[in-house]
Amino acid sequence: MSFKRFEADDFVVSSDAITSTLWSTDAPILTEFYTSSVQAAGSSGNFYLSVYQTSSLTNTQFDISYADSKGSGSEDYNTVVPGKSPSLSSYGQYRALILEDENKSFTFGVDNNVLTTENFWVLSMERARYKESLFPGSKN
Amino acid sequence: MGYLNNQVVTVDAILTKKGREAMAKNDGSFRITQFSLADDEIDYTLYNPTHPSGSAFYGEAIDNMPLLEAFPDETQTMKYQLTTLPRGTAKLPVLDLGYSAITLKQGASLAITPQTLSYLGNAQTYETSGYSATISDVRLLSTYTGVGVNTDAATSSNVNATTTIGTNVSKTIIGTQINLRATTINTLFGSNASIAATLTVVGLDSGARLTIPVTITQTT
Repeated sequence: MSFKRFEADDFVVSSDAITSTLWSTDAPILTEFYTSSVQAAGSSGNFYLSVYQTSSLTNTQFDISYADSKGSGSEDYNTVVPGKSPSLSSYGQYRALILEDENKSFTFGVDNNVLTTENFWVLSMERARYKESLFPGSKN
Repeated sequence: MGYLNNQVVTVDAILTKKGREAMAKNDGSFRITQFSLADDEIDYTLYNPTHPSGSAFYGEAIDNMPLLEAFPDETQTMKYQLTTLPRGTAKLPVLDLGYSAITLKQGASLAITPQTLSYLGNAQTYETSGYSATISDVRLLSTYTGVGVNTDAATSSNVNATTTIGTNVSKTIIGTQINLRATTINTLFGSNASIAATLTVVGLDSGARLTIPVTITQTT
């Protein structure tokens, strides 16, 4: 089991409001994108890739993942059970988290322009980037 | 929220906005004494009890899934907390608030008496430990109290429950009856004719949970 003990230094009592850009180094626009070939070849690379701001791969900006209701787009966990793959797990994960109903499907759009889709890409912002909440127009 | 590395067992702990508010008081009242477990992001249709490789692989698609980081908004996470029910329970208990949505005019009052349906063999019952009720933005209410439960937790949660404060934090109270009164403060509305929040009620014995929208309409 791995954990980091809470220390007194971890507590900062402040009422100051802090507003900053979404990306590291206070960059308003993320212009370069780097991923790790080591991660891509590892087990987590089957589910998502972490995207960095620089080639030093120090601060994750966001994770990108592909979700598919039929498990397409990623290798099956086990060849004897076709269709059960990381992309299916990701689809189920976000369906449970967002739709809160395992029988629902994702729809995008409004009014007469609604698309029900079996797959989508997910950009998960690293918590250290968005701090408390993400405002509209932050993802540039 | 990004993903956690599932190659190691990780406890990812953060404070919600509500937790930071409690800590910022700096009066010694910020103490973590309990924890709960939840499975919000688990899709149990991924569980495969017919996996040809045997029972060790039934949960393969769930066990391998990386989990997301902790989320700082307490109203958007831990919605499905794990609970203990009597062996042989055939129906999950559900809550009945008597309202599917609440709309109040400024200054109007309402008392809610939650009931639990299908619990402990009863078609409907009131839970002994009462109910917790969380309003996502306490500024909407000038009075927000719970009555009918006299435990230490209820007493402490209901202290100073009558307030309209300047920050949009949630507030949780405990009781068998929930009393609320809509704010009379106009500045909260800005240019809007109404303001909205959610009310989440949880049965403290059953774990049953229900969230309904709360809308306050401006009258002046």
